[in-house]
Amino acid sequence: MNNVWALVAASAVIYGIYCILMGVAPGAALSRVPPLPGVHPLAARESHGRDIYVAEGCSYCHTQQVRPLAQDQVFGRPSVAGDYVYDTPQLLGTERTGPDLTSIGSRQPSEIWQYIHLWDPRAVVHESIMPRYTWLFQVKDKAGPGDVIVPLPPGYGPEKGVVVATADAKDLVAYLESLKQVPLTGGQAK
Amino acid sequence: MSVFVELFQDNVEAEDIRLFSAFTLTATFWLLLSTFVALILSFKFPYPDWATSPFLSFGRLRAIHTNDAFYGWASVALSGAALYVASRSSGIPVAAKRWAWSGLILFNLAAVCGTVTLDLGINNGDQEYREWVWWVTIIFALALVTTFISLLATVVRRVEREIYISNWYTLGAFIFTILLGITAYIPAYQHGLGQVALQGFYMHNAVGMWFTFLALGVTYYALPKLLNRPIYSYALGVLGFWTNLLFYPVIGAHHYEFSPLPWWFQTLAIVFSVGMLVPVWAGSGNFFLTMRGHWETVRRSYALPFMVVGVAYYFLGSTQGTVESFRSLQGIWHLTNFTVGHSHATMYGFITFISWGAIYALLPRATGKHPSALATGLHFWFALVGVTVYILLLSIAGTEQGLTWAAGNPFIASVEAAAPFWLARAVAGTLMFVSHLIFAYNVYMMTLGPSRETMRYERPPESVPA
Repeated sequence: MNNVWALVAASAVIYGIYCILMGVAPGAALSRVPPLPGVHPLAARESHGRDIYVAEGCSYCHTQQVRPLAQDQVFGRPSVAGDYVYDTPQLLGTERTGPDLTSIGSRQPSEIWQYIHLWDPRAVVHESIMPRYTWLFQVKDKAGPGDVIVPLPPGYGPEKGVVVATADAKDLVAYLESLKQVPLTGGQAK
Repeated sequence: MSVFVELFQDNVEAEDIRLFSAFTLTATFWLLLSTFVALILSFKFPYPDWATSPFLSFGRLRAIHTNDAFYGWASVALSGAALYVASRSSGIPVAAKRWAWSGLILFNLAAVCGTVTLDLGINNGDQEYREWVWWVTIIFALALVTTFISLLATVVRRVEREIYISNWYTLGAFIFTILLGITAYIPAYQHGLGQVALQGFYMHNAVGMWFTFLALGVTYYALPKLLNRPIYSYALGVLGFWTNLLFYPVIGAHHYEFSPLPWWFQTLAIVFSVGMLVPVWAGSGNFFLTMRGHWETVRRSYALPFMVVGVAYYFLGSTQGTVESFRSLQGIWHLTNFTVGHSHATMYGFITFISWGAIYALLPRATGKHPSALATGLHFWFALVGVTVYILLLSIAGTEQGLTWAAGNPFIASVEAAAPFWLARAVAGTLMFVSHLIFAYNVYMMTLGPSRETMRYERPPESVPA
């Protein structure tokens, strides 16, 4: 070929059509899926906790999608489009170096466990390779009024003082605790 | 050392030499930074308590590694090579050079801003390869547009009648990627699962419509040049161009198999993944047939071995991609480290080796300065052994993870099963990083370093041929 404009135009038109067919159209159609009964937007604190989850890149190791496969049953029922209506930016993930968190709020309902785990994952799961998120906590000589103290097993806390959850840690844990699946059948909208 | 084919110097304008050198030098900086970050990441698997800091944490550095490797290293290296190829194959100096210089500055500005924002936890969601926030991506998009203007102007003003096949690929790469970037960053149709559909489309197209097209385009020029013989089949090159464009944009959803995306949408992606065998085998077959019977030239060259590895990994990595997209295999391998092995077979074994091959092939022809043969050999073997071991380790680790899950064991068993492979991967990664340091030394020798003539005869610099 020796007409550069024809080459440029053909490439742009064909790929432009693909962008609409394979990008914009499925995106628009799936953006209009109605929420499952019981799926609600997050509360303000949970939403802020989700922002921290995104900023810290949690979904590089934790998926939020349960597949219709036997090995995924432990994480809940298979996920459906209506689960994700308020999930933007999406956090489905592509790697599962750590467990899926779709229903972590049901599977691990203890906030205290979450605090200990974020301070030092190896304090609760010895073989874990998850990073420590110590910057979500403060080490204080003495807890103030209203402070959430993280009870740590011997050897995992600071030499002096107590570990206290910051507002960011509280919001992140509030988000994690909010991660629950609504039932697909027999469930009642609330 | 016998006479290398590469020792012939092209007659290149001084500013074109500076332009090509500047693209290569800054790309090399991003290669070193992104893979130094990768090294930190790989040691965090066996030593998770090491370097506990928000700015050195896994979740932030991971995106810096991938984005800087993509948009700092490979994009800049291949864009510089594409401009040089356009100029040589069109028979004129690079046209509209100011636009190319602007492109280089914008590429680097985007990578700096992207690195800083990601390290501060400011991102566009944990969405692979589009983690940069919108304004950083606008800087990158402007880099694409300005560089494209220079590339297009060079081809438009060519003195050759035909547009050489390389320029089809590289011009296409810029057009596709500009359109892709716009499509991926408009939020109107990206809510909930809608954004997942866009993510599958974006992440695979960023790889396949940008890096694959650039690397193939550069190979179509560098390989015949190095072998001093024409490409085996021009028609296969044209077939590869159109079939890549036909099949690639549909396969993105195979990154979300078994997800809530419509089942037929995933099936369509798998079917087109099989279709990808056409351009992959057409391209790699074409290159191998061009090399056939000239292995002695390959053996004596320092650039050709990189091209051979690049083409081999293009064939292997892409064919692997087709096979692993089948549901029966994704059931085990999806979400495991197997995918990370595959992405290094393609982005490193294919794209990065082709980038190195193109730089070793073309940069000395422009500058008249040659890398050390010993250093180039060390670079080659460290990188090849490093990445091959890396891929094998993560493929085994991923298989162990997938089988552990399928056996219904507690999740932590999959971490324990993969742990020894992660430790070994850090060693393989170290080998790869050392090879990049050697490459950086060679880039210095090919650009800023003393000319061979100067060294040999101690002539003043002004007598060095341009």
